[in-house]
Amino acid sequence: MSISQEAQLALLGWSFRGAGVSVRERVAFTADEIRDALTTLLSRGLISEGVIVSTCHRSEIYSLVSDEGARTRLTLFVSEWRGLDPAELEGSCFFRAGADAARHLFRVAAGLDSLALGESEVLGQVRQALSLARESGSTRAVMHRLFESAVAAGKRVRAETEIARHPLSVSSIGFELARKVFADLSKRQVLVIGAGETSSLFARHAVEAGVREPVIVNRTASRAEELAASIHGRAAAWEDLADELPLADVVVSATSSPEPLVTRAAVEAAMRERRGRPMLFLDLAVPRDIAPDVSQVYNAFSYSLNDLEEVAKENRARRAREVPVAEKIVEEELESYLAWLGNLSVVPTVTEWRRRLEELRDLELERAPAVERERLRGLLDAFSARILHEPMKRLKGEEDPARKLDRVEAVRHLFNLDRE
Amino acid sequence: MDSHLLGWLAVTLYLAAEAYAILSLVRPRVPALPGTLLIGAGLFLQFGDLEIRARALHSVPYRTIGGSLSLFGWMLGLSYLALLFRHRERAVGPFLLPFVIAFSALGLLLPQPAGLAGTDTRGAIFALHVTFAILAYAAFTFSFVLSLLYLIQKRQLRRVRTGLLFSRLPALDVIGRMNRTSVTIGLSVLGVSVLLGVIWAERVWSRLPDAKFGAALITLVVYGFLLWKDRRGWVGERVALLSILGFALILFSYTFVNLYFSAEHAFR
Repeated sequence: MSISQEAQLALLGWSFRGAGVSVRERVAFTADEIRDALTTLLSRGLISEGVIVSTCHRSEIYSLVSDEGARTRLTLFVSEWRGLDPAELEGSCFFRAGADAARHLFRVAAGLDSLALGESEVLGQVRQALSLARESGSTRAVMHRLFESAVAAGKRVRAETEIARHPLSVSSIGFELARKVFADLSKRQVLVIGAGETSSLFARHAVEAGVREPVIVNRTASRAEELAASIHGRAAAWEDLADELPLADVVVSATSSPEPLVTRAAVEAAMRERRGRPMLFLDLAVPRDIAPDVSQVYNAFSYSLNDLEEVAKENRARRAREVPVAEKIVEEELESYLAWLGNLSVVPTVTEWRRRLEELRDLELERAPAVERERLRGLLDAFSARILHEPMKRLKGEEDPARKLDRVEAVRHLFNLDRE
Repeated sequence: MDSHLLGWLAVTLYLAAEAYAILSLVRPRVPALPGTLLIGAGLFLQFGDLEIRARALHSVPYRTIGGSLSLFGWMLGLSYLALLFRHRERAVGPFLLPFVIAFSALGLLLPQPAGLAGTDTRGAIFALHVTFAILAYAAFTFSFVLSLLYLIQKRQLRRVRTGLLFSRLPALDVIGRMNRTSVTIGLSVLGVSVLLGVIWAERVWSRLPDAKFGAALITLVVYGFLLWKDRRGWVGERVALLSILGFALILFSYTFVNLYFSAEHAFR
C-alpha cells in the first residue's frame, strides 16, 4: 500500500527461507553496524525512515522510500557496505512493498516466519531493532507505528493462542516433564552426568530454570569442575555417583559410555534411601546411560532422547494447529495499522480537516440569532479558508516524505481527526 | 418462599460454574473471576436453602439423607473455593464440581421429612457431630478426586502424553500435597465427629452407637494408615489408590450401612 504518491514502505531482506548461512552470515549486522548503516542510508537520502532487523535467521531492512527503485538501491548499498557481489545478493534476497512489507514484519514478530514456529525471542529482537533505529534517528511516525503495531500483534498472538506454549527443544521438554512431577524446580536437586556439550547445555538450562547448584559428575574431574564453576554448580567425584544418586530429584545423563551408568538396582537402592520420593531421569545419550528397566521402579520416571524428540514432534504439530488463529490476529492488527497509515495521506486529511472546521462552524452558528446565520456563515467560511490556506500549502508542498507524514500525523492529532 | 427455589438456583449456578471451568481448562487464559463468583453465589444461595430447612425442622437440616447430601455438596463447594484462594489451581474444578452438583441436586430430589425433628436430634453436640462428619466426607471426596487426577497425570507422564490434560493438570507434587492436606483435615474432623457421636449416643441411647460407628472407625483406620504410609515410601500412586478405597468405604457407609444396618442412627 502506498501512503501517498511520494512515499511507500519497502522491505529488502535475506532470511533462512531463501538465503543460505554463507550469505546470511555476511549480511548480518551487529548493533553498532545497524546504527552506522541507518545513519548512512539517511545521510545519502536513500531512505526517509528505516529500521534494520538482524538475527541469526534473517537480516531485513524496513524503509520508507520515495520512489520505486528501492530494491536496487538498497541491494547496491548492502553490496557496497559488505563488499559482496550484487548479483549474489540479488539472487538470495526477497523484496516486499507496501502492505506486504508490513504483513511480513507482523508475521515475523508473531513468530509465524520463524524456523521454530512461534518462538518468542524474535519479539524481543524486533523491539531491539526499533530501539536501535530510534537511537540512530531513523524512525518517525510511520516506522515507529509500524514496529509498535508489529510488537502488539506478536504479543496478542502469544497471549491468545498456544503457539508459544509447547516447547520444542529437548532440554525445554525435559524440564517441562520435570515440572509436571516436582512443580517448583528451585528446591530440587539436579544431578548432571557428563560434562560434554549436551550436558553443559542442559546444566545451563537447569540454572535458567531456577535450579540451584546442580551437581556435575564426570569421568574427567577437571571438566566437571570447570562446568560446575561456570554455572555456580558443584562438582562431585565419579566414584561418588552412587552416593549422589539418592540425593538427586532429576538426573540428566549424556555421556558416551557404551554401558548404562545408572542401573535398576542402583535406582532401587536410591529409592529406598529417598523413602519413595519420585525421581526423574533424562537420558540424552546414545547408547543409553540409564538402563531401560529403571522406568519400572516405583516413582521413577525415565525418558530417553527418543521420547523427548517424539514430544518435540508432537509439539511442532500442536503449534502448527494454532497458525490459522495467529494469522487472523496478524491480519486484524495489520488492518488497524493500514487504516491509520491510509489516514496519513494528505488529501483525506485535508478533507477531514475542512469537515471538522465546518462542524465547529455549525456548532457556533446554532448559538447565533437565526437572521444573522447566513451572513455569519459566509464570514466564518472566509475566515477558515484564510486560516487553512498557508498550512495546507506547506503541507502539500513538503518534499521530504517522512517529514510530510509527520506533519500530517501532527494535524490529525491536534485537530483530533481520528476522534480518539 | 419455596426452599427448593434457592437450592435449584444454586445448582444452576454450579452448572454454569462447571461449564466455565471446562472452558478454562481448554482456554486457560480466560479470567478466573467469573467462575469464582458463580461458585460463591451458588454457595450463598445453597446456604439460604439449608437455613430455611433448619428453621422448618427446628434442627440442623441434615438429619435426613436429603439434607445431609445438600450439606455435603455445600461443604465440597466451599472446600473448592478455599482451594481456589489458597492454590489458585483451577484445573481441579471441572472434575470436582460434578460432585458438588450431584450431591446438591440429590439433596433436593430426595424426599424431605415432614414435621419437626425429634428431641434427640436437637442440641449443639448432635449438630456438631453431623456437621463434622459431613465435612470429613467432603474432604475425603476431595481427596478421591485429587487421587483420580494424580493417577491420570502419572499415567500421562509414564506414557509421555503431553496433550491438553497434561499441560492443564497440576504437577504430581502439588496434587500429592493437596491430597495430603485433604486427608489430614478429613481425618481430624472425622475423629472429632466420632468423639462427639459417642458422647451424644451415651446421652440419648445410653449405649455406644451402632454399625455406622464401626464404619466410621474403619474409615479412620484406612485414612490414618494412608497418612502413615505416605510418610514411609508409599508416596504417590499407592496413596492415591488407598484414598480411592477410602472413598468407596464412605459410599458404602452412606448407602448400605446407613440404610440397612443403622436403625436409629441414619439419615432418612
